[in-house]
Amino acid sequence: MKAPTARSHDLAGALVEMSERLRPCSQCFSFAEDELCPICADPRRDPQTICVVEEPSAILPIEATHEFRGLYHVLGGALSPIDGVDADDLRIDELLVRITQNGVRELVVATNPTMAGEATALFIADQVSGDVIVTRLASGLPVGADLEHADELTVGRALLGRREMKGQPTGP
Amino acid sequence: MTEPWRAWAVSVTDLRCWDRARIDLEPGLVVIWGPNGAGKTSLIEALTMGCLGVSPRTSREAEIVRHGAEAARVELSLDGPDGRRERAIGYAPRRGRRMSIDDAPVRALGEWSVPGAVLVFIPDELRIVKGPPAARRRHLDRLLEASWPGYREASSGYKEAISQRNALLRRVRSGEAGVGELAPWETQMVPLAVEIIRARRQAISDLQGPFQRWLESLGGGPEGQLRLDPSPSSLRDVPDDELEGVIFGFIQERRPRDIGAAQTLSGPHRDDVGLWSGDLDLRSSGSQGEQRTAALALTLAHRDYLSDVAARPILLLDDALSELDPDRRQRVLHAVGDGGQTLITTADPAVAEIARAGSAQVLHIEDGHVAKMG
Repeated sequence: MKAPTARSHDLAGALVEMSERLRPCSQCFSFAEDELCPICADPRRDPQTICVVEEPSAILPIEATHEFRGLYHVLGGALSPIDGVDADDLRIDELLVRITQNGVRELVVATNPTMAGEATALFIADQVSGDVIVTRLASGLPVGADLEHADELTVGRALLGRREMKGQPTGP
Repeated sequence: MTEPWRAWAVSVTDLRCWDRARIDLEPGLVVIWGPNGAGKTSLIEALTMGCLGVSPRTSREAEIVRHGAEAARVELSLDGPDGRRERAIGYAPRRGRRMSIDDAPVRALGEWSVPGAVLVFIPDELRIVKGPPAARRRHLDRLLEASWPGYREASSGYKEAISQRNALLRRVRSGEAGVGELAPWETQMVPLAVEIIRARRQAISDLQGPFQRWLESLGGGPEGQLRLDPSPSSLRDVPDDELEGVIFGFIQERRPRDIGAAQTLSGPHRDDVGLWSGDLDLRSSGSQGEQRTAALALTLAHRDYLSDVAARPILLLDDALSELDPDRRQRVLHAVGDGGQTLITTADPAVAEIARAGSAQVLHIEDGHVAKMG
């Protein structure tokens, strides 16, 4: 209320402009100002690796790691029959088309570690056929934290997802 | 063993017949003595609510608010494995519950409640013996939530998976979704079901000895037996390490029936706990007296179990001694006088007299007043 009226106008204008300019990327369904989002339009990205997320907001934290050089695919949610969300309501068919058309080699399923996110991941893994490698983000212990402060569920999952340090080579 | 649970003081405001009261509690045996209708059971109810957030007497919470008052409130000063906490819960019809710990509001009941802190025996509520299977499951689950690492998560995850699967079964039946969409939920449901079954089996097996001893000691005969009646019953003889495969098998096999009914017809959400005395099924064939004895024996067995695996709970026995003969009454008083905190209500001056002769704290309640005696 204390801010000058002009600032409110600017803010309102910016919001209106944003909603007018933004639209879903025609390939990955993230936010875009043009036909394609900046990531899909970037020729340096690897089109044969796709990371599947529930919402566009999940892309930012993954991008911030600089560890992923592939493209994304936004499902628009997760399976939840209670809320009436079936496979048809998510962009799974579009994903399967992309996989075939682009000769995708690896699908990184980064849906949330909730029951709905897990169900969505399992459903997608079941739908993908052929030689595509389907991987799931690991869940485990937060970096820099003591084991004694972690909850049982997290420690349990970290144990289940443990990796070998000697013997078979792991990771890429 | 971890430090036992201990209540230091309980305050009630506008709870049933109580307008306002505060009681300071001694660590050992506390006997609350007074005529019928004086509000003794309401104090047991207040302590239970202060730990669990729910009344042991009713699911219609509006009942607990004193007639003419807007809201009921309980404050409990409670010592537990994490140290001393000032807990408070208020309830107002239509506005629901408000909870806090050390004056900081807590939203979720699951985060606020301490399921292992109290065990309650209320004779009018023999639901754990003669009620529906759900009442016995809840009773056992509360014990496991307080003692089995990860049980609460497994249990709530399983419930979520069942709800999602049931919603999907409905959509499959009406043709809105395909059968293929069931698998992702079932894959997650099965390991959780296995975890729940393993925990329940272990608890029943650990409770068997204490239950049998207590039932005999209370005059219920030497052949007391607890049994997990699994759903489906064919799981009874399946070893723990084969459960996962067997459950996957029956889920596939029973899909058509589940789709027809639009719900998951079998699984640990349909388990029951059988209480037997020899060949007598106490759930359906026991007399009122036998069922009371069994409920008290089960409560005392839960106490022994929690004392062993977690921390000794506070025992709240509402009018539990009146129907026992002096010898058995003495046995119960002796057993509960061995260190933990126990509150017993009674209308019987003889019980108050025995307790006072020991080192118990005796509180006399009449006309909405509390007086300390002895």
